[in-house]
Amino acid sequence: MENAGKPTPVLTARAAGLVGCSRCGRVHEQGVASCARCGSTLQSRDTLALQKVWAWWLAGLIAYIPANIYPMLRMIQFGRPHESSIMGGVIDLAQHGDLWVAFVVFFASIIIPIGKFVAIAYLAWSVKKGVQTRDIGRLHMYEVVEFIGRWSMIDVFVVAILTALLQMDFIVTVSPGIAAFSFTVSVVCTMISAQSFDPRTIWDAHERDA
Amino acid sequence: MSDQLPSEMDIQPVKRSIWRNLSPLWAVPLLSLVLALGLAWQSFSDRGVLIEILFEEASGVTAGETLIKYRDVTIGEVERVDFTDDLTNVVVYARVSKAVVPFLDDDATFWVVEPEVSARGISGLSTVLSGVYIQGAWDDQAGVAKTTFEGANEAPSVLPNYKGTRITLRATDGQIVSAGAPIFYRGLEVGRLGTPRLTSTGDAILIDAYIDAPHDKLLNSATRFWDTSGFSVSFGTGGLALNVESIATILSGGIAFDSIFENGGSISTSAVFDIYNEEAEARRSIFVGRVQNGVAVSVAFGESVSGLTPGAPVQFGGIDVGEVSEIRAQVNDDNPDQAITLLASLNLDPLRLGLPNDASAEETIEFLRVSVENGLRARLATSGIFSSSLIVELSMLEDVAPASLIVRGDDEPLIPSVLSNIPDFTATAEGMIERINSLPIEELLDQAIKTMASIEDLAADPDLRTVAPATRTLLEDTSALINSPDLQAIPTDLRATISDLRTITEELRASDVSGTLTRALTAAETTANNLSTASENVPALIEDLRTLTAKANSLDAEALITQATTFLASADAVINTDGARALPKSLTDALDEVRLAVAELRGGGAVDNLNAALNSAQAAAESIDVAAEDFRVTMADLPRLSEQLKGVLATAERVIASYGNRSDFSDETIKALRDVSDAARAVEALSRQLERDPSSLLLGR
Repeated sequence: MENAGKPTPVLTARAAGLVGCSRCGRVHEQGVASCARCGSTLQSRDTLALQKVWAWWLAGLIAYIPANIYPMLRMIQFGRPHESSIMGGVIDLAQHGDLWVAFVVFFASIIIPIGKFVAIAYLAWSVKKGVQTRDIGRLHMYEVVEFIGRWSMIDVFVVAILTALLQMDFIVTVSPGIAAFSFTVSVVCTMISAQSFDPRTIWDAHERDA
Repeated sequence: MSDQLPSEMDIQPVKRSIWRNLSPLWAVPLLSLVLALGLAWQSFSDRGVLIEILFEEASGVTAGETLIKYRDVTIGEVERVDFTDDLTNVVVYARVSKAVVPFLDDDATFWVVEPEVSARGISGLSTVLSGVYIQGAWDDQAGVAKTTFEGANEAPSVLPNYKGTRITLRATDGQIVSAGAPIFYRGLEVGRLGTPRLTSTGDAILIDAYIDAPHDKLLNSATRFWDTSGFSVSFGTGGLALNVESIATILSGGIAFDSIFENGGSISTSAVFDIYNEEAEARRSIFVGRVQNGVAVSVAFGESVSGLTPGAPVQFGGIDVGEVSEIRAQVNDDNPDQAITLLASLNLDPLRLGLPNDASAEETIEFLRVSVENGLRARLATSGIFSSSLIVELSMLEDVAPASLIVRGDDEPLIPSVLSNIPDFTATAEGMIERINSLPIEELLDQAIKTMASIEDLAADPDLRTVAPATRTLLEDTSALINSPDLQAIPTDLRATISDLRTITEELRASDVSGTLTRALTAAETTANNLSTASENVPALIEDLRTLTAKANSLDAEALITQATTFLASADAVINTDGARALPKSLTDALDEVRLAVAELRGGGAVDNLNAALNSAQAAAESIDVAAEDFRVTMADLPRLSEQLKGVLATAERVIASYGNRSDFSDETIKALRDVSDAARAVEALSRQLERDPSSLLLGR
């Protein structure tokens, strides 16, 4: 509005009547249905993008609930079964004094996923509302969310590796719990959600405004 | 243009339906929701039923880890462990599978399975690593489901759906068996014992016993049970016998049973059987039984009752008719000479006295009264030659002072007693045995046999057999010669005869007699030769006979008694040696040690973890070691003692055998003597024959 720090309006491709291929980057005129180079569908703005974001986001959030309630790992050690959920594992580790490991697990399994949910929700909300501030910040946020998404799978990898390695019959046997599956679903959904987000809509607010 | 625009605006739909803009991707969160709800529903429906189990102590039970198992299959998990409000019990909250809930009725039991080291082996070893679990057991009948159960302290002896027969055994010593001890039938394990318990009066131990199907068919009213655990040492005329059962039964105890007679009747489920101490006793039990409607009488003894113990049998004519129930001293006011009498209470079985089984006490006492007037008296008797224990003997005596059954008020009727002849008998028996022992029977028989053999040899000698006819021929020849008119003048003097004969021979040589004489002389010579061969045996025979006679003469001599006394003294010395005396005691000690070890083992059954289990095993092993050491020491002594005893017994047995078969012995002796006298007669006849004329002829040679 009367903000002094407001960047000078730039000429966007959309304003110039052009559309860039989101896959190979080749610029076409608006109205061209598919990329002449790679054949992918050309779309200046994905109209359903926000709905996709929200849909995957919600699916991810729902899947995240059982991922925290149910046990992630079922370990049978000398015949004694032991099940641990994510939070239970963190508490166990902390009680055993492995604060650093507990923090890493807590960060990777609780902070990052929740942060992602919050970040994606904020981005989608801000685009919907046409918030114009901190474009760069939101763009960075989006990039971080998209980058970090794959690292959320670290838990699932750990479970998968343990399951594969620790099959020593009576001594110790590890099997994945329901939470591992739920967590995978959750992570996949949030990754798709983040990718469904069209970062170009971040600066569309200015255009509309202009 | 301007006309068209508004109309175009008019037909423009306001907005597409909200559903048209809706991305189909919304199906994804829906799917996710369905998935999550499905998971929630599944885990909710899989959630078992919460039950409560009360334990006195729940060692090792951990919430969230300890499993509930049925037939070793996990059916649930302990959710929470808590105490009852008054802290008397531990409450274990567990969720169990819905499938088993209908069966959790009154007969369901739960117990904690822990590692256990016992004499019968190690059980529950897997729980050392995996931690304890709670085992449940119930029958296959669904009943009124409960959710609160009393946990058992240990595994039940039999599971609720047990197929077999439960009976009750009665023992007087609870130490001989422990819970779970095996029951054998001809050495095959067919059942188990439950936990021994005291009767309400505390005078016996009752033990539930479980005989597995189909072996429970073997049970009937003829069945007797006996203890097979441990060692048994018996020492009798049959020698020293040591029976050692298997190590397992030594450690844990064991019971065996068998039917001791045919056609036993069927038993009821509440049947109670006694446990006998040993098989022989159980098999004897067909003749003895518990006195059912016993009548109490008492006997006053005016002599020492040392050796008479409660439980000693009361015999009438050798048949058990009751038992001694109590022995006490009583101040006797009636008889100033004998201020104190020793009173034995007897419990008599009317059935065994020949009265009807349902005879009342009055009838029995009346019967006794009549019997006493007819001479029934009680007296002490020894239960065996070698035994110093006494029994009470009821016997009808002919020449006794008249007496009657004394009935005073409510006191037990008093049966008059007579002095036992135990000391006399003992002395007599000892004297008799001494005499018998001291008889040099072996030597005598040997001698007799040798004599027989010599005589037989002599008699069988073909040379000797030919002596008589040859001699007769010779005599005939000689008498013919002597009686011949030509020889009438021959002097009776041998030398003269010979010289005459020579002359005659010379004369005869010229005459016809010469040939005859030569033949006669040749025959005489042959006879003489034969006789000399034969008579070589005669001195030996005579020597034998002399020895025999000497031996026979010395039969009643003092030397024999001395010899016998020496023998008895030595036997006595052997029996009295500390070793021999200590033998039963050492064995008893060893047995006690083993029993102690067993008791420790039994006590140390519940083991919390491997360490404790192994510690108690070690302790048990050490106890066994100590016991075994004692036993080994005892066993080391045993062969020597056994050897000594065997020697003694062998002698004793021979003596007894000869004594017992005295008729045989005397038969043999008489026969031997008859043979000897026959032989003597034959020898006499022979010598008589030899003393006749031809003897001078022979001596002349």
